[in-house]
Amino acid sequence: MRDSILILILGMGIVTFIPRFLPMVFLTRWVIPERLKMGLGYIPIAILSAIVFPILFFNEGGKVEIQPHYLLSAIPVFIFSWKVKSLWASVILGMLVYWGLGFVL
Amino acid sequence: MSDGQFRDGAKAALPIVLGYLPVGIAFGVLARKAGLTPFEAGSMSILVYAGASQFLAIEMISKSISWFPIVIATFFINLRHLLMSSTLSLHFKGHRLRTLGLLSAQLTDESFAVAMSNPSNISNRPSFLFGLQMISQTAWVAGSVGGALFGKLIDHKEYGIPFALFSLFICLLVIQIKKVHHLWVMVIAGIFSIVFKWALPGNWYILLTGILASGIGIALEMAGRDKR
Repeated sequence: MRDSILILILGMGIVTFIPRFLPMVFLTRWVIPERLKMGLGYIPIAILSAIVFPILFFNEGGKVEIQPHYLLSAIPVFIFSWKVKSLWASVILGMLVYWGLGFVL
Repeated sequence: MSDGQFRDGAKAALPIVLGYLPVGIAFGVLARKAGLTPFEAGSMSILVYAGASQFLAIEMISKSISWFPIVIATFFINLRHLLMSSTLSLHFKGHRLRTLGLLSAQLTDESFAVAMSNPSNISNRPSFLFGLQMISQTAWVAGSVGGALFGKLIDHKEYGIPFALFSLFICLLVIQIKKVHHLWVMVIAGIFSIVFKWALPGNWYILLTGILASGIGIALEMAGRDKR
């Protein structure tokens, strides 16, 4: 491996590891206030919403633009996920719907 | 280490594998195009293991940008893991640092969300999370190396592949809606994230939305308590 790439990969690895590791080190050893625990309980839904919703309203270049292909595919997956809480089945269904819509849109 | 838990975790990783393989291949293809060898692409997927920043690094490498700005950009992109690591830490009180180090090295958006879809699976069961994350990363690394070696075997924009991880996130989001407060936090976080993404550079919007929307979750819950 070239030195420049090795340095790059090690650098990226270290700065990525730090925020993944530090909270684990401290929060597993400290007493966590009730209020903070409550807040952490909302982190999964907050982060998942922040991942899902912008994808529907921004193009790949990061400009505001409604994404009809994503929006129309997302609706059946959302309803299906609500009824059948299966990750596997949702992924397969989503791929099929998105693929199928590709022929229509 | 308990084998049964590891195996259960590995099984839970299968939906992630479905998404990581093709996206990993796409990464490998682009890495090769930017001049990386399959070994270098694979090493990055082993030692960094963070999709968005790896794609950005490849783009910056192909523009001949030096390592330092790429590392700085990587740091900011991956800062959002602070919140996920904090949330997971509640389930591993007092575990050994070696175990925690191993678990946090493989933390991603996807494995975090799958782990939190049923927290009782991972609570004080590091082997389950290790199995989940190990299989996920294996798929990512295999995809990266495969993509770099064999180039354009499949077009990653075909067959609904771009939608695989997105469907996974939708289902994980739905699973998180367990009470009416969650629904409100989802709506608020959805609006915040769109406004922040529009207003701020990079992906600060995820970290900021995470902090603010969960803060609002606390406020809603406290207000609900006072009423009773």
